[in-house]
Amino acid sequence: MNRNSLFDSKAELGLVWSLLAFVLVLPILNMVAPEGSFLHVSSFQLSVWGKYLCYAVLAVSLNFLWGYTGLLCLGQCLFFALGGYAFGMYLMLMIGDLGGYKSSLPDFMIFLGYSELPMYWKPFYSPYFALFAAMWVPGLVAFLFGLLAFRSRIKGVYFSILTQALTYAAALLFFRNDFTFGGNNGFTDFKFIFGQEFYDPSVARGLFWGSGALLLGVYVLLAWLLKSKFGLVQRAIRDSENRVRFSGYSTTHYKVFIFVLSAMIAGLAGALYVPQAGIINPSEMWPTKGLDIVVWVAVGGRGSKFGPIIGAILINLLKSYTTREYPESWLLILGFVFLFVVLFMPNGVVGLWDQLKERFSKKRSASDPGDEILKSN
Amino acid sequence: MSHKPLYKDTDLVLSIESVMKSFDGFRAINDLNFYLGEGELRTIIGPNGAGKSTFMDLITGRTRPDEGSLIYHQDDGHDMDLTKLREYEINRLGISRKFQAPSVYQQHTVYDNIVLSLNKDRSVLKSLFYRVSADDREFIDEILGTIRLKGMINNLAGSLSHGQKQWLEIGMLLAQQPRILLVDEPAAGMSDEETERTGELLLSLEGKHSIIVVEHDMEFIRQIARKVTVLHQGHVIKEGKFLEVANDPTVKEVYLGRQKHE
Amino acid sequence: MMITNKFNFMKTLYLLFSILGMMGVVKADETKAREVLVALISSSSKSEEARYVEDLTELGDPIIANVVASWRVGEISYSKSQDKVYIVSGFETYEDLLTGAVISPAGDRAIDRPSRKLRKKLSRIVDFLDLKSPDLEKRMAASRKFGSSQKPEFIEVLREFEAKQDDPEVAAAFRESIAMSLLENGTRDERIQSVKLLGDTYVFAARDNIAKILKDASSGETVDEELVSSCKSALISIDGRQDLLDIVGTLFRGLSTGSVLLLVSYGLAITFGQMGVINMAHGEFIALGGYSVYLVQNYVLKHFGESSVMYEWYFVIALPIAFGVTALAGCLLEKGLIQFLYKRPLESLLATWAVSMIMQQALRLYFGAANVSVSSPEWLSGSYDFGGVMMSYNRIALIVFAIFVVIVTSLLLSKTNWGLHVRATMQNRQMASSLGVPSSRVNMLTFAFGSGLAGLAGAFIAQIGNVGPSMGQTYIVDSFMVVVVGGVGNLMGTAISSLGIGLVDQGLQPLLGPVMGKISVLFGIILFLQFRPGGIFPARSRSLDD
Repeated sequence: MNRNSLFDSKAELGLVWSLLAFVLVLPILNMVAPEGSFLHVSSFQLSVWGKYLCYAVLAVSLNFLWGYTGLLCLGQCLFFALGGYAFGMYLMLMIGDLGGYKSSLPDFMIFLGYSELPMYWKPFYSPYFALFAAMWVPGLVAFLFGLLAFRSRIKGVYFSILTQALTYAAALLFFRNDFTFGGNNGFTDFKFIFGQEFYDPSVARGLFWGSGALLLGVYVLLAWLLKSKFGLVQRAIRDSENRVRFSGYSTTHYKVFIFVLSAMIAGLAGALYVPQAGIINPSEMWPTKGLDIVVWVAVGGRGSKFGPIIGAILINLLKSYTTREYPESWLLILGFVFLFVVLFMPNGVVGLWDQLKERFSKKRSASDPGDEILKSN
Repeated sequence: MSHKPLYKDTDLVLSIESVMKSFDGFRAINDLNFYLGEGELRTIIGPNGAGKSTFMDLITGRTRPDEGSLIYHQDDGHDMDLTKLREYEINRLGISRKFQAPSVYQQHTVYDNIVLSLNKDRSVLKSLFYRVSADDREFIDEILGTIRLKGMINNLAGSLSHGQKQWLEIGMLLAQQPRILLVDEPAAGMSDEETERTGELLLSLEGKHSIIVVEHDMEFIRQIARKVTVLHQGHVIKEGKFLEVANDPTVKEVYLGRQKHE
Repeated sequence: MMITNKFNFMKTLYLLFSILGMMGVVKADETKAREVLVALISSSSKSEEARYVEDLTELGDPIIANVVASWRVGEISYSKSQDKVYIVSGFETYEDLLTGAVISPAGDRAIDRPSRKLRKKLSRIVDFLDLKSPDLEKRMAASRKFGSSQKPEFIEVLREFEAKQDDPEVAAAFRESIAMSLLENGTRDERIQSVKLLGDTYVFAARDNIAKILKDASSGETVDEELVSSCKSALISIDGRQDLLDIVGTLFRGLSTGSVLLLVSYGLAITFGQMGVINMAHGEFIALGGYSVYLVQNYVLKHFGESSVMYEWYFVIALPIAFGVTALAGCLLEKGLIQFLYKRPLESLLATWAVSMIMQQALRLYFGAANVSVSSPEWLSGSYDFGGVMMSYNRIALIVFAIFVVIVTSLLLSKTNWGLHVRATMQNRQMASSLGVPSSRVNMLTFAFGSGLAGLAGAFIAQIGNVGPSMGQTYIVDSFMVVVVGGVGNLMGTAISSLGIGLVDQGLQPLLGPVMGKISVLFGIILFLQFRPGGIFPARSRSLDD
């Protein structure tokens, strides 16, 4: 592959084309193939796959931070959930007076004794504003937090622990009823989206296409960034931040930019996830969710462009299968899979091929230069 | 930040005056005064713990002095107070540093290492749309020739030998086109031949850049030394020509005195 | 869990008093009381009931209280055919109320409960009983109850009893109660005197009454200057005392929250701070400690019974076991996993997170998803009244234990050979091992020790909170925060930061509520670390690429 191409290898290009084909074809099967036929894809299945695509975007956004910049954020779920909440606000307002209290206000607000919509809810009647907010609210949170953290040179595990505390604090806040975001129950029971009935198959198709387009768009954007000098700087920060700083780059500016971009991508993923899941509540930003994303990326292969996509989809397929067949042992299986990956597959599933090749060639050539232990951060 | 030049008629690039720095009560730098002239090649020696690394850290903004001033005299006659600037801002003024342990981007190719070091606009936005121009390419080739890594342009920096990494880092410094080069133990871990070539390289840069070299290797110092500054307990105890310094009784005592204890 | 505990506690208390009563009062009185009670329970006419109640009032035997309490909760049953009244005396065992002998009840017995009206009367009798109770606390409580009812008819009774009190504290309580009643019923001078007395003795219960008197007295046409000024000074005195108590109470709660934080984070301060290992399974080690206590409790309960001495002291036995079990688990984790991941903190974070998931699910599968209950031994239940601030014994024990842990740890680190090795290894792993420090052994022991501390923390948390498979998750974020704020690698910093965070947390709670308080603390910590990234005591490293 030539230096100027966005993609590193033929294999990668193949994967991207297959993904594109998958995204295009699945909704068409939903539309065309008759029910009961082998090829039929139900709207429910379509939504499930749509959710996986959103998870994949989320994993890609974390990989951009962790795999390419060395910033392990344990609070990526917060940005995802904030995006979800932003779009959820629009969906809540679209319920109109079909809610339990037959009022134009969301049910939980009636419950809290509100008689009028709070000011900051009003713009969310517009879906475009909601999508805009789904990017900028997480972006702003990331900007403020990142600016403070990176200026005072918080990094490595400290950064991880602090991002975990951030999402924990936010979850506690959203669990409160009087925070006007639905408390424990969050947002659910949506009725309309973009003027369509919420459970219309065309909605599922549209959302699926949207998620696929987001994934491919984000993929291409990040591939382009990684190719640019910006990408060089980004990886240089991961490997030797001091050298970058002493070469005249403000690593703080770069890291804030990367953190904000990654948060905005996660926010958009969350915005598309919520209508497909039909619900958003504070458990989405609970610290364990943040670690889940880390698991997807690690299993798929951090620091590789396609790895996180594979990881997110693989783990979620495994999850949906195991929780159905062996509900009790899901966490045990996930734990052992993850442990195995951390210990024996540092480059995840996509790195497996190279790893095996290396193992094989190592056995052949006795004179092996002492391999350097590459620091992980 | 810029104020009236202190040394308008002289050709100094750096004036360090009455600098103090303590760590947890340990005085690493004690009333340090140091001046560097335009195009000068200066060698700094001193026993372990003399404050050589802290001295470099202070100039590059890695640590801040407790007291005293560090003034950089710019080309245009304006002075900059280095104590108020961050590392990257100091670097952009034209002060580059080579670390003791070679500090290159191990996962990047030799070529990318140099590209990253070019003296271009290094802001986030510019880096997004930066393309290597023909001029840049030529400049990179020239540097690679100087540091003798032309044939390894696509090798990962991590795969280079120790000496090659040292040179690559020097090449990265050259790419930054600095006015002041701070070079920390460039000969460490090099073969005799490599050491000699490194010395030649530094000598060839004399006049084009102002250079401060910190070194232990006496042979190497003899090769490159013009003016030598001796640091001891964070203070300059002697400055002068190599032979002058080498024969100075105080300097001898500092080195030999330590040897007695060891 | 708490409710059943309290209930058991009350039952034991009644048992205790009935025994005391038997010893203190002439046996004949008890027999007579039993007769009247049986008659009262089995009677069906209202007029008879009234008479029996009167009889009981005069009798005043402690057994009355016991029986009345059982009657109210439905532990009394009556069999018409046998004309016998039964009282529950234990699990599925019954006594004949008349004789006190254990018998098996007749088939037609029906549970009997007093009517609402009767219940009121009976509780009055019990209160009068309490005025005579040998337990001073109870006697004072009863007098206060009469005082705050402010019914004029009790004033004489109270005065009569007051004269008989030997204990000055109890006598003072009676005087307070009389004053309370006089606030409403006394003459002007009596009221002024009462206001003064209540103000001087800081009777919080009187605050509203005095405030009302003040309002009435200053709004009337003729303002009673003396009454107004005495009310004002009494209110100032009471409010001042209240503020003081609030502060003391906050300090105590802060200290106790801080101690919980200290216990949960001290182990982490050792494994993370000293060894640089991010152990995400630390929370599960805490849970392991909690479950160890639970298992020991069940074992003792099964083999020795609830009223055994062993059961009374099971918690003391459980502590070393909790430590041992978690230390062993830590040992296994270090040997099996962590020793391969030194110098790779992020990898150790991920791997221990996997272990955390596995342990959590294993605990859930073995013990069930629901929380299990661990009861406090008698000597840890109840609270100590510190001038109006209630300090529960288990919290006091927690604070004492936290101090103990700090002292023992610092002694171990500073005085023992192992401590020397630990400090050497933590400063420079390679140097230490080349100087002959058995670093892999030291690592294992250190990690085991840190894990053991987590187990101890879990054991104590079992006394004040829930034990469940995910209990550790509640503490993991907090404990990381504490260690980071204190300065990684500095145990004293951890101790100070846990106390500081505990105090701030409890100081904010009255203002913001528990959840907002916690959120503010978390954001506060995040902000604090922006300004002091190294924590309170930053570790200074001499290495270049840190």
